[in-house]
Amino acid sequence: MQKTRKLLSMLLAIALLCSLFIVPASAETVELPRNETLYFAGIQWGSVNGWNPLSDDMNNGMAITQNAGGSRSIMFETLYMYNMLDGSLTPLLADGDYVWNDARTEITVKIKPAAKWSDGTAITAEDVAYTFATSVKIGNARGNSYKPFIETVEAVDDSTVLIKAKLNDEGAAVNPLQMITYLEEAYVFQKAWVEAVEARSGDDPAAVKRDLGEDVVWSGPYTKYYADDQKVVFVRDDAYWGQDASMWGTLPVPKYIVHTIYADNPAGETALKAGEVDVCQQFIANIQDLWLKDGLPISTYMDEAPWGICVNMPTAYYNLDKPVLQNAALRKAIALAVDYDAIIQNAMTGQSPSFADVPRSLMNPTAGEQATFDHEAVKDLQWAGDDAASAIAMLDAAGIVDTDGDGWRDIDGEKISLNACCPNGWTDWMAAMEIVAAAGEKIGIEITTEFPEWSVYQTVVTAATQDQYDIFMMWTDSAAPTQPWGRVRQLMSSEFVGVEGNWSGNWGHFSNARADEIIAAIPSETDEAALKALYTEAVQIYLTEVPSFSLMYRPNMFHAVNESVWTNFPDASDGRNIPPAICVDGYGIAALYELELVNP
Amino acid sequence: MKGYRKYFGKKLFWFGITFIAALLLNFTLPRLMPGDPVSMIVSKQAQGLTEASAVKAIYDNYAKEFGTSKPMIEQFFTYVGNLFKGDMGTSFSQYPRKVADIIGSAVGWTLGLQLPAIIMGWLLGNILGALAAYVRKGFDKVLMPMTLFFSSVPAFGMAVTLLVIFSITLKVTPVAGGYGYDMIPNFSWNFINSVLQHYQLPFWSIVIISIGGQAIGMRSMSIYELNADYVKYARFLGIKDRKIVGYVFRNAMLPQVTGLALSLGTMVGGALVAEIIFSYPGLGTTMYQGIKMMDYPLISGTTLIITVMVLVATFVLDIVYGFIDPRVKAAQFE
Repeated sequence: MQKTRKLLSMLLAIALLCSLFIVPASAETVELPRNETLYFAGIQWGSVNGWNPLSDDMNNGMAITQNAGGSRSIMFETLYMYNMLDGSLTPLLADGDYVWNDARTEITVKIKPAAKWSDGTAITAEDVAYTFATSVKIGNARGNSYKPFIETVEAVDDSTVLIKAKLNDEGAAVNPLQMITYLEEAYVFQKAWVEAVEARSGDDPAAVKRDLGEDVVWSGPYTKYYADDQKVVFVRDDAYWGQDASMWGTLPVPKYIVHTIYADNPAGETALKAGEVDVCQQFIANIQDLWLKDGLPISTYMDEAPWGICVNMPTAYYNLDKPVLQNAALRKAIALAVDYDAIIQNAMTGQSPSFADVPRSLMNPTAGEQATFDHEAVKDLQWAGDDAASAIAMLDAAGIVDTDGDGWRDIDGEKISLNACCPNGWTDWMAAMEIVAAAGEKIGIEITTEFPEWSVYQTVVTAATQDQYDIFMMWTDSAAPTQPWGRVRQLMSSEFVGVEGNWSGNWGHFSNARADEIIAAIPSETDEAALKALYTEAVQIYLTEVPSFSLMYRPNMFHAVNESVWTNFPDASDGRNIPPAICVDGYGIAALYELELVNP
Repeated sequence: MKGYRKYFGKKLFWFGITFIAALLLNFTLPRLMPGDPVSMIVSKQAQGLTEASAVKAIYDNYAKEFGTSKPMIEQFFTYVGNLFKGDMGTSFSQYPRKVADIIGSAVGWTLGLQLPAIIMGWLLGNILGALAAYVRKGFDKVLMPMTLFFSSVPAFGMAVTLLVIFSITLKVTPVAGGYGYDMIPNFSWNFINSVLQHYQLPFWSIVIISIGGQAIGMRSMSIYELNADYVKYARFLGIKDRKIVGYVFRNAMLPQVTGLALSLGTMVGGALVAEIIFSYPGLGTTMYQGIKMMDYPLISGTTLIITVMVLVATFVLDIVYGFIDPRVKAAQFE
């Protein structure tokens, strides 16, 4: 008995000791001063894989995210910073505005003389050219994505970059709009570092992408400091070139940027409420309750509903591979009957403008996109929803009636029975699909909901053809320099029909020759009136044919901030023109230079 | 001695067979899930890419890197071949990290959390169960319903309840993580203190539930043993109560030892709930992420660890059983 007790107590002691030996290697600073640290949630899920920005898969959201809506530039930088509020591009590594040649086939960009790498060497045009050439050569996501419309990026001299467009048969640029995206989306890497990676990888593209990039050279205001399974910490580079008067004139305010890795959204939300997170990029249901009811020092970009700037339009697609759904009257009738206000109230808890506030089109609610088409010309085609009477009249007129008296409408003597699908666990989308199904019942069309796992869902939806989902949800593009053209293309272009592994758009496989012509014409069109006419016609086709219908408007990034430690976050009414881009994306990073402490 | 050798030889043989079967299942089952892991990875990178050709290039690149387009039998032999070299493969979802590296960084947290919690729960449960059987009266009347209640609370329910009470309402324990959100791991009292604070809720959420189950089992076994003939006989002989309790405890312990060994073996799976709810690092979270992302090598790696742990625990149990219960040894040597 005595022996057993001894053995057990020893075991217990060993076990407790074990828990202390799990401590990873130490860093210099061991406690991050709260008033020098800005905490994030909702960007980094799972631990960081590495620091090589040439790779597509470092799972390093805070450091490496190249996005047309504004690339994340705390560690790596782009030539320009995109601002979704006015569509402007502010020079970052670039010096002054970019210049098109007369034929709009080449863009010239100057590099700022003050721009330096973290090792103190100057950033040159050669770095820009080599980054592009390497991305294309190793076939990473960016290289593959720019290749179809950029022929070369050349260094004319140390400070002059020449970006040459890929030309079509007429000698015009294939897509001038997407060339602008390159300017604000693509990071620039140091040629010497890229060459070092290539050398140690034996010039094998796969090995270059596998490299963890621990020795990466950066140009941004922060660099890696510590990372494990629970957090990633960045520290300010006090030698950052951007403190030069030609750029920001100062350093960003927080010394450390930390992203704790939470298991899921509720954990991040709890931490935001507890003041352990300053900037939260997560959807929080009824966010206004946090300050109106709970009295927490939390706010969003706008003081009133919808609380944020909505630039994305989660959309229900009709599967046009199905013969029954090739009937446009049926498609429009279902879309007419859906109660969008209920979706916005239930699924988005009011964090979206209604379709009465911003009538549906192919454009998001921002003033810039709304100005691209003629509202009067499409007025009669728009609908705000929850209109079962019109839907029933439309179905009756189209001869889609209940022929066998079972209460459900038929086409060619067969009952119309559809499913409405979205990934399981995506609760806002699931709520929206339930409301779509309820609309079916109101007009005599059987719609049942199905919620497969995302792993299955995405395989079906991106397939070249599919017969499993009839009405299903996907997202649309957000704000970017290519918009609203990119979204018109995403919702209607037939180039995506029949493509295996299609992540680009038109998941319902809609085809319309005139729509394709418009999509091809817009990028090269420079005449404002002609452009407006093209966009208006595109909206008319979309609202007449109804290949899909948006269910709500939604921000690209949620932007909730807790002001218990830091304040002076950007706000829609402060006149600073800093977008709600979580203080790190595109021109949103300007916020980091203007933050203030609540208790200095 | 010869008997021992034959006994162990036979055992080892059967464990070997079980291991090979488990290996086959570990490899095959994840791959039978519907869906395509490469397209899961591509989906993360392709959002925002507007060129279909670019997406296809990414897809082909990963399919080649992961070897998922090869026949499954070929993949299996590559997997087993690599295992012999100590290589569990490269993770899909955390590419290019090695599965062994991911498991290595998580396993310490799981052992640190689970091992003490299981042992503590087991010890307390058995002591309380034995006491309840022996003392009876009021103690048993209070303890029994309580242990019944706690043992039937699902693990996630217990974890969420503790989180809501202690972290959110009373604010006496941290909300999430393995150490302070404002710390970087180091050897200092502050850090150790932070680890211990973060340790409390996940630890007790496991202990409380296991106390319940263990106490119920121990109580029933002890009551059964207390009424056994040998106890009556010992009492009749005038042997002291203390001594009798010793006999009873030793006999009642046998099934409990099996329970302990099995919970040690399956601790990785058991860690899942506590780890996820408290955003606590460890193998459970790793496995969960692997499953969500259809990361075959990572799922196979974590399930392999579970398989090995269960096999080792059962093997050790078989040996220990022989020592603590001569009847078992005798039966096995026959």
